[in-house]
Amino acid sequence: MANLELIDLRKSYDKLEVIHGINLQVTDGEFCVLVGPSGCGKSTLLRMIAGLEAISEGSIIIDGKKVNNISAANRGLAMVFQSYALYPHMSVRQNLAFGLENLKMKKNEIEERIQQAAKLLRMEEYLKRRPGQLSGGQRQRVAIGRAIVREPSIYLFDEPLSNLDAELRVATRVELKALHERLGNTMIYVTHDQVEAMTMADKIVVLNEGLIEQVGAPLELYNKPANEFVAGFIGSPRMNFFDIDMLPESIKQLAPNHASRLGVRPEHFDLKGKIILPLKVNNVEQLGSDSFLYGKTNKGQKISIKLNNQTQIKAEDDIIASFSLENSHWFNNSGIRI
Amino acid sequence: MSAVIKFFTRTQGHNKINFVDWISYGYLILGFFIIFLPVFWLLLNSVKSQFLLQKLDTNILPMDYERVARATVFGPEGKEIFILKDLPDWVLYWNDLTEDEKLQHDQTSFLKKYNGKEYYVLRTHFGLVSNYAKELILNKKLPDWLIRYPSMFPDAKKEYEPTIFFKDLNSEEVRLLSEFLGIKPYKPNGFTSQILVSAINADTNEVEEYSVNRLNTNKATINARLISNPQGGIVKIPSEQIMVNKTLRPSWINYTDPLTNNVRGMSFNAIKCLNNSVFVTIVATIITVLINSMAAFALSKYRFNGQIIFFIIILATLMVPASVLIVGIFKMVAVTGLAGTLWGVIIPGAATPTGVFMLRQYMLTIPDELLEAARMDAASEWSIYWRIVFPLALPAIAVLGILSIIWRWNDLILPMIAVSTTKAAYTIQLCLLDFQGEYVAQEHYRLAMTVVSLIPTTLVFVFLQRYITTGIATTGMK
Repeated sequence: MANLELIDLRKSYDKLEVIHGINLQVTDGEFCVLVGPSGCGKSTLLRMIAGLEAISEGSIIIDGKKVNNISAANRGLAMVFQSYALYPHMSVRQNLAFGLENLKMKKNEIEERIQQAAKLLRMEEYLKRRPGQLSGGQRQRVAIGRAIVREPSIYLFDEPLSNLDAELRVATRVELKALHERLGNTMIYVTHDQVEAMTMADKIVVLNEGLIEQVGAPLELYNKPANEFVAGFIGSPRMNFFDIDMLPESIKQLAPNHASRLGVRPEHFDLKGKIILPLKVNNVEQLGSDSFLYGKTNKGQKISIKLNNQTQIKAEDDIIASFSLENSHWFNNSGIRI
Repeated sequence: MSAVIKFFTRTQGHNKINFVDWISYGYLILGFFIIFLPVFWLLLNSVKSQFLLQKLDTNILPMDYERVARATVFGPEGKEIFILKDLPDWVLYWNDLTEDEKLQHDQTSFLKKYNGKEYYVLRTHFGLVSNYAKELILNKKLPDWLIRYPSMFPDAKKEYEPTIFFKDLNSEEVRLLSEFLGIKPYKPNGFTSQILVSAINADTNEVEEYSVNRLNTNKATINARLISNPQGGIVKIPSEQIMVNKTLRPSWINYTDPLTNNVRGMSFNAIKCLNNSVFVTIVATIITVLINSMAAFALSKYRFNGQIIFFIIILATLMVPASVLIVGIFKMVAVTGLAGTLWGVIIPGAATPTGVFMLRQYMLTIPDELLEAARMDAASEWSIYWRIVFPLALPAIAVLGILSIIWRWNDLILPMIAVSTTKAAYTIQLCLLDFQGEYVAQEHYRLAMTVVSLIPTTLVFVFLQRYITTGIATTGMK
């Protein structure tokens, strides 16, 4: 049970600064997801919290205690690695017990915790096997189990689902979420997959190039993105952005002061709304439940549209898309949402 | 068995043997012989007797003529010729032995096993008559001139009458003294080693054993003496009828004597040498593996200032020839007081740049995430090394261990530097060197002990070679 606070946290390799002052508060029991494109520093940030990466500046505070100079072992955190990092020469049981043995815990207590974790993660049958004899999903569970037996104050996850196939990923996502509800611990979860972020998080932290772009609940980020980056990053397919100058006059008139760009999500277009935008369709993808239209406006701006049904529209058709004002976002020159 | 035959008769995909198969099999066989011929030679020569070796016997197998001794004993009954069988080689060739070699055998206790005419002839053969006679003269308080009597001129001899003392002596003593003094009917007894052959007896038409002086097959006939009736005189047997009794006679004493410490005049103990070598090999290998893997762990998994420099320095020592270091190592060993102890052999070679390099390269392939996971699991740095990195680097460590065992067991230079002055600390390689004394040729023991010294490394190779191949194969890749 712990609060986590990052104050002006910075990290630099030699002269190159990769984390430029992060301020963040994670309250007890929160599921906080760090999300961002690759290279944005989210993994580095997590490793700094874990104590695996030295802190160049700023401080990390866990439960009101500054932990900058406390080693990874003594911070009382547990981490699930992207590659799971299971000890290949030990059985699952030994993998789970290793951390507890290092804490000089009594044998029967170790056994008790292993049994509990095994029950919780349904891995009793393969406690005796080595990691090499397990499937990806099973390894994933063992990695999570290794964190659970430690009973840490904060769980750290470093893209734990990225090595699983799509189906298993969805299942494990649900399981992890359930696990969080059951354990109630603070969890910090790094991913580049915004679907994972949206579905699991209590709080999403969008990172870009070593800076926090926005912190908020998933729907808050979706509905009220702070800036163009967040707007573009959250939601799939990406939000459409149009330069105001390239839009038809009818739309231009609606723009607030200082607005330079308009953003509309593909799913917020339909074919019978008030504000209309003519376009030429280049490509149509039919998924059965949904259809995606890709095209260009008269001025040559790219546009993608998601329709919630099947459609008769074909490539090279000229159509008129429409959207409503409450679902559109205006951004100023520096990308800030107005 | 059929699988083996099938394995060795495989062809290049066709049923017929084509020239590629010929070349391949030829090459394999050639290579096999090039590699194994010296080993076979060593093995087979190690069971040849000392005499065969000294004669530079070129037989592949330890074949020897069966030899017997033809003995001639003179006595009151006249001359008696008989055959002595089953004598050891050193007895047969006693007169050919050097003084040192004679010292290695206990002829007096050997002599005690015999009595009667066999005793007399062997006593003469060993040259013990004069010793025993002199003892007798001293014990019986007989006059001194008796000792000088055999070397007197015949004129001088006439002035003395040794037989007057015979009345106080028993018949054995009379015989001894007479043989010594050369008084008839006694004479020095004859003893010659002869070759045992078989031939058809012209009288009985049966194959019988004969003894011959020498085998010269160029001659039409060979003089031979019938073993069953040695008194019967010499018969001439046609050369082509002679069947030589050449028998396979492995000389196992080459092995048993040194290993049971049964070699007289030998200054060291082969068992002790083997024990020393085993101790050095095992302890040094354990230390080598520990030290090298710890160094490799630090070099591969930690970041510290001067890391590259350290690594380069370690590798640079590879480029210094070992012979340059001899004086330095000697001084080091002498100053630290390790000279003359086995630790002087073990410690200077414990850290090897090869081992550090090999293990480092292997450890680089162990993912850092495992170490980080261990750190998150509150493992100390020591337990990260001992419980994570060491077991995972085991394939490479096994290779180093095997190499270290072979290096240490075969090492000659370091023991020479460190313990050459202390015989108690000799390793087997030093012992092998020591068999070759300045005057004493002990080739038969040396060959046998060389074979013994090959056994551990061979076993290591046979049982652990799969670690070498898998280890080396995975060291570079992955």
